[in-house]
Amino acid sequence: MATKISIKELDSQFAKIRGLDLVIGKVVEAGEEWSEPVGPTPYPDITALRGWDQRILARYPPFYSPLSDFCEFCTYGKCDLTAGKQGACGIDMEAHQGKWSLLTCVMGAACHATHAHHIVEYLIKKYGEDHPIDVGSEVDIEAPLIRLIAGIKPKKLGDLKEVLTYLDNQVTQLTSATATGQEQSPIDYESKALHAGMLDNLALEVADIAQVSALGLPKGNSDTPLVEIGMGAIDKSKPVILCVGHNVAPGSEVINYLEDKGTYGSVEVAGICCTAHDLTRYSKNAKIVGPISRQLMFVRSGIADILIIDQECVRADVVDEARSVGTRVIATSDQICAGLPDLTDKTPDEIVKALLTDTPAVLVRNPAKVGEVAARAAIEAAPQRKSEKGLKDEQVLANTSRCTLCRECTENCPINLDIGYAVNAAKKSNLEPLQKIFQECIGCGRCDEACPQSIPVLSTINAASTAKIKEEKFTIRVGRGPIRDTEIRNVGRPIVMGEIPGVIAFVGCSNYPGGNEDLAKMADEFAKRRYIVVTSGCAASDLARYRDENGQTLYEKYPGDFDAGCIVNTGSCVSNAHPIGAVIKIASIFAKRNLRGNFEEISDYILNRIGAVAIAWGSQHQKAMAIATGANRLGVPVILGPQGVKHRRAYLGRSEDNEKWMVLNARDGKKVYGGPAPEHLLYVAETIEETMVMAARLVMRPNDTPKGRMIKLSNYINLHKQLYGTMPDDVQRFVRAETDLPVTMKDDVIPVLKERGWKPIEIPDPTLLDRMVLRRE
Amino acid sequence: MSAKITSYETAEIRGPKLAFNLTPENCGRMLMRSKRLLVVVGGDALKMKVADGVDVPEVAARLARNLGGTIVASPGVFKAFQSVSDVKLINMGLEDAVNRLKDESWKGFDGMGAYDMAVFIGGLYYFQSMMLSTLKHFAPNQKTISLDRFYHPNATFSLENLTPDKWKAGLDAMLQLLEAKK
Repeated sequence: MATKISIKELDSQFAKIRGLDLVIGKVVEAGEEWSEPVGPTPYPDITALRGWDQRILARYPPFYSPLSDFCEFCTYGKCDLTAGKQGACGIDMEAHQGKWSLLTCVMGAACHATHAHHIVEYLIKKYGEDHPIDVGSEVDIEAPLIRLIAGIKPKKLGDLKEVLTYLDNQVTQLTSATATGQEQSPIDYESKALHAGMLDNLALEVADIAQVSALGLPKGNSDTPLVEIGMGAIDKSKPVILCVGHNVAPGSEVINYLEDKGTYGSVEVAGICCTAHDLTRYSKNAKIVGPISRQLMFVRSGIADILIIDQECVRADVVDEARSVGTRVIATSDQICAGLPDLTDKTPDEIVKALLTDTPAVLVRNPAKVGEVAARAAIEAAPQRKSEKGLKDEQVLANTSRCTLCRECTENCPINLDIGYAVNAAKKSNLEPLQKIFQECIGCGRCDEACPQSIPVLSTINAASTAKIKEEKFTIRVGRGPIRDTEIRNVGRPIVMGEIPGVIAFVGCSNYPGGNEDLAKMADEFAKRRYIVVTSGCAASDLARYRDENGQTLYEKYPGDFDAGCIVNTGSCVSNAHPIGAVIKIASIFAKRNLRGNFEEISDYILNRIGAVAIAWGSQHQKAMAIATGANRLGVPVILGPQGVKHRRAYLGRSEDNEKWMVLNARDGKKVYGGPAPEHLLYVAETIEETMVMAARLVMRPNDTPKGRMIKLSNYINLHKQLYGTMPDDVQRFVRAETDLPVTMKDDVIPVLKERGWKPIEIPDPTLLDRMVLRRE
Repeated sequence: MSAKITSYETAEIRGPKLAFNLTPENCGRMLMRSKRLLVVVGGDALKMKVADGVDVPEVAARLARNLGGTIVASPGVFKAFQSVSDVKLINMGLEDAVNRLKDESWKGFDGMGAYDMAVFIGGLYYFQSMMLSTLKHFAPNQKTISLDRFYHPNATFSLENLTPDKWKAGLDAMLQLLEAKK
């Protein structure tokens, strides 16, 4: 931010000045000015968008499901907040849940902001502050979130530093609001949670455009290569380096070192979680073991010679687990020092020697050094790895013989898998139930901790599934990064008009209620129905781990364009910025709305016009909640799978509350009924049937053209009939005129409308913002 | 001898307000007092027939039929109710349904007033637990009974943890009691 003072001519007793430009703050060089006018909220502070938040929260109030009855935040407590009781500080359960909501989102935002810091600092150190931001020749709007929120147009890596400073400041302020004696209103907590979500989304974009620009990751091309994914895809005959986490810097340096030495082909570099995505974006020869649910399983196999952990989504027991099977560990991030000795200042020779002798787990906070050390140590350690360390069949049977069918494992399973029954069946030499558990298991290992007989349950599940693990070899299309402006030009109009029924993003973690197949089946169904399907992170990995009836993975089956009937993998967690950025770009490119510091107007546009919905079927981490909440502030609804209920908060509308669905018609300023479109902003569904029908409903927007609404209704009614066997109870709320009705469904729907007293309504030019009214009658 | 009542999920430890543990017969007696009953059937209901031998949609239908109640079925199991024609049936997700139940001014699906008792059965344990938590905290006057096989501390009343056989037999006994009284 800078203030510019221009003095054309000054003649005073002190000085004579002519043509002086004085800039206080950041110096803007000639030709760098951005002509787009600055909107009302560049770099919004924590209350700048409170008015917008209050508008959306009035329509979608927070719905809380407390996970505990107590507040334990200060030494007054524990305080029982059950059923309206206040704690010793005066807080009640609703505000306490608001505080949890904010804390969750702040944790997520802080993770992504820190990640962005680390990657930007690393890249600046390596490539310099002046390295250009370049995310592709067909991407003019290089940073839609930064333009929208910060109000700047970053041109080089150094420009991202001021966005990081803003993130630091805001995250600190939000964290402060969670302390005892600070914020107290649930709605204000939620407004701040929405702010944290927005910051999270901003941080995603900073991190990803920096690495796309400097590391040469794909720049929005649709035809990125297919690479291997799966535990069975890892070539155990080679030295294996496993990278776990989210920051690609150390892993990319491993590849750099191996390439420099000409030995890349002889070493397997693989990853789990989002680092894995970014490794394959960096090099198509890297492999993905799988999503976070495969972390403990694969580490315990002992296949990895070196485990590199960076930041986020790293299990707290991974160092001990790795060491117990002889895998050497290199921690690389300030965020996870893991109690390890810091050898950053030692020479590579010294670190390699330590790793291979008396210090098998170390902290090295220098990515380039990690690259060399990991590569050399893996090559030296591999011959010592005789075979996998997993259990053999006979050990499985021996272990299961101790099972007393107490079902402690079942009762501790977060998704209630009947592990006890399966272990007991194995006792009778029937491994099939354990193999079924393997398919659905989220890999958390809580069953191990629960077993009073000390049966290593998770390892037993793995061992029973050896054949399945070997078969676990699929293909995934490498994350492509941004959505190209040229694609937005093609699909912007049909999306806004509703002719493409919607954009459905499958995102989030792998904490599914019953395995990854459900996720893949949903994505397959929506792609078949010609929605634009987008995916990222662990969800993108899990979509790959499924073959249809013809033996194809979804990435083999569908093209990677941002277009109807395609499946786009944008990449890692931070690549979630791109589907969010795409809806912002639609407002800019198709509707010619200014982005610069203009958050409220763009959100209003998206909420009322762009049929985008995200599905986080396996949401687990605070980051997932932060991303979702950021999307919500922008007007994008999100559906969580059932485990998402433990995030404790949803934003729910009430379809029958007509007053809440009134919008302003921008054409004349009149308040008109826009319908419950979208009905919810954040909803937790129990089953895939509910999720699919809900998604088809949530893509409807007040602005849909008759043709667009016809296509959306056609999918909604069809899915409802297919999955529930009936006409939707609320179909009358979504039909504005008979022209909205799908031709082939008219005979079915019109009698229902008559029976329910339906009357046609005007299709508005909808807005929630008074200032967007063009003319008043 | 005393028995410790624990929740089904080991870590689902709750505060001072815990569900009263009732036998199935006592649940039946409690339900008979209800004037406005809502039966909430969760998305795991169909799996229970396979795992535990209990036909949850059938149990829900008999309950609603005998007590003049309304059934709200989670969309994932709604199809199983297609043959039920003599009971008011609503297709709605649990979160949507609980969002209405917690609203004291809500007049019910028929506009006739609040439900004095909400029966929960057939839900994913952890999901249903959280829905009951919402009601416990934000609708303290809304009475809830869990008829699931596992103890739900967040309900007002709940069955204890039962074996599949005992659960099935208990539900049968409860329904027979209701049908006999009718």
